[in-house]
Amino acid sequence: MSAAPLLQVEDLKTHFFLGTARPFGSGRRLLKAVDGVSFSIGAGEVLSLVGESGCGKSTVGRTLTRLETASGGTARLDGREILSLSQAEFRPLRREIQMIFQDPFASLNPRLTIEQTLAEPLRIHGLAQTRTEARALIAETLQLVGLDPKVMERYPHEFSGGQRQRIGIARVMILKPRLVIADEAVSALDVSIQAQVLNLIKDLQRDSGVSMLFISHDLGVVRHISDRVAVMYLGRIVEIGTRADIFDRPSHPYTRLLLSSIPRIVPGRKRVEDLGEPANAASPPSGCAFHPRCKFATDICRTTQPPAHAVDTGHLSACHHIEALQKDLA
Amino acid sequence: MSFLHSVRDIFRGRAMGTAGLIWLCVILFAALAAPWIAPFDPLDIDPVNRLTEPGWPHLFGTDHYGRDTFSRCIYGARMTMLIGLGSVAFALVTGGAVGMLSAYFTRLGNFLMRGIDVLMAFPALLLALVLMTLLERSVVNTIIVIGIVYATTTARILFGMTLKLKREVFIDAAVCSGAGHGSILFRHILPNLISPLLVQASFIFAFAQLQAAALDFLGLGLPPEVPSWGNMLSESRIYVTRAPWLLLYPGLLIILSVFSMNMVGDAMRDSMDPRFKDDIAGV
Ligand SMILES: Nc1ncnc2c1ncn2[C@@H]1O[C@H](COP(=O)(O)OP(=O)(O)O)[C@@H](O)[C@H]1O
Ligand SMILES: [Mg+2]
Repeated sequence: MSAAPLLQVEDLKTHFFLGTARPFGSGRRLLKAVDGVSFSIGAGEVLSLVGESGCGKSTVGRTLTRLETASGGTARLDGREILSLSQAEFRPLRREIQMIFQDPFASLNPRLTIEQTLAEPLRIHGLAQTRTEARALIAETLQLVGLDPKVMERYPHEFSGGQRQRIGIARVMILKPRLVIADEAVSALDVSIQAQVLNLIKDLQRDSGVSMLFISHDLGVVRHISDRVAVMYLGRIVEIGTRADIFDRPSHPYTRLLLSSIPRIVPGRKRVEDLGEPANAASPPSGCAFHPRCKFATDICRTTQPPAHAVDTGHLSACHHIEALQKDLA
Repeated sequence: MSFLHSVRDIFRGRAMGTAGLIWLCVILFAALAAPWIAPFDPLDIDPVNRLTEPGWPHLFGTDHYGRDTFSRCIYGARMTMLIGLGSVAFALVTGGAVGMLSAYFTRLGNFLMRGIDVLMAFPALLLALVLMTLLERSVVNTIIVIGIVYATTTARILFGMTLKLKREVFIDAAVCSGAGHGSILFRHILPNLISPLLVQASFIFAFAQLQAAALDFLGLGLPPEVPSWGNMLSESRIYVTRAPWLLLYPGLLIILSVFSMNMVGDAMRDSMDPRFKDDIAGV
């Protein structure tokens, strides 16, 4: 990406206070769900964010859509910083950053018809002046996501998970956003329809040229949709690169661990490592957070957090032992 | 049409609830048609016929002023409905607003809900007594006082339910669509609270009956000349041995109406969204 990226995130931090404050003394613990994440997404590009459950992927997405409040860092959309805006200032920008949610059964208001749900963003952002105009746009968008426009009269409970997720996608696409954050958009669906919905997302992305942050815990799902991939571990990005970098030349022990856990993704490669015990974000290990599970770990890993090393242009890995890793791969 | 359907769905197979609903319809009819169905004027004094036994033409007998108990019972239904609906409306509107806004705007909520906690520390009847001694006896004041008492429980319950709803993903989705506070509260949260609110209303209605009767009985509720079931009990209590029917009929009416309202509430609670069942444990 030579042009200025659409989204530029730098040193993003989102910390949560756990438990309730006690009246006397400080009983609150800090959970660093996202702790210094940097990446960029170019126009029309799909960046995937992968990592085990609980590593902070959703929090990244929710912070960028201002559902959570950032504790630090910046995010520039088209050069404009969005994390320091007030909610009121951010509201008009919501049209440009849209989010597809994981659970299609929870993400639609059960009391509203599909038309009411889809008309809401149109009304708020002034994209349709009359009901007729709104219905025309809704019908068009429903067709785009592979649903019969007649469904707009109905209520969410009348639909299957896959259909509901299509409605959720329609709610996003109807605004013609510039960045879509898809948070585990297919994980909650039956395996049989995951591929359909994934293909729909991929097609819509390609046809509209929208940029996308595609969040998933499953590298297998990510493989077909991403231009670039960022691997996250305990609130940080440990490796980022093009799809080929990550899948063919993984340069972080954690990325390799994830790859080895995908069944048959690399023929011939044995599943040598077990996934091991995932670390807890509330009490992260010292130094490199991954060291308790890493077979390359040495003393430096236990004491010092590794900076991001450039393996190649645009391919970064936060590991003290990149050379050893590369020998191991060869 | 869809309203009738949901009424049918709620009461189908629930015999007690249906019986309760029928009884309440009878009371409502009596309240609305009182001037046409009451055989006598409820305020007409007839010193010659004091404390007559039930019979003809005084079906339920007469009281110590010779007033017709049957007619007074029918007019009492008016007061029952008026006080019940009035205090339910007051409790739901004020308590509902406090609970919903407190859960939604957490900083305001910390403040408001502490106030509610203080009010809830008083037993319901004691709180009503304290408030009533500060005010004149009147229909409106009785409605307000009972309304305040049950506004506290309504606020608590709606606080909990709104907190739950606020965490729903569809609320996040609405925020992402750009919805503001008003739209989130009134389009996304409130419509999901309607059925628990109705259940709550039926329980408040039942308890408001008891509360109003108790206030009347203690001489703190409606003005003494108003024919309410509670006032009838209060005035006739010294005649309990000479004219027990004076207590029997209004007493039975109170018990039946409270019981019916509770049965209707149970039926509505049983048929509603399982998510909220735990929140509505009665008042
Ligand atoms: N609102 C919140 N309050 C407190 N902790 C949270 C909150 N949201 C997420 N977390 C915690 O932050 C960590 C990262 O969560 P999340 O971003 O959902 O991970 P992922 O999407 O990768 O599974 C988890 O430990 C989770 O428990
Ligand atoms: Mg998640």
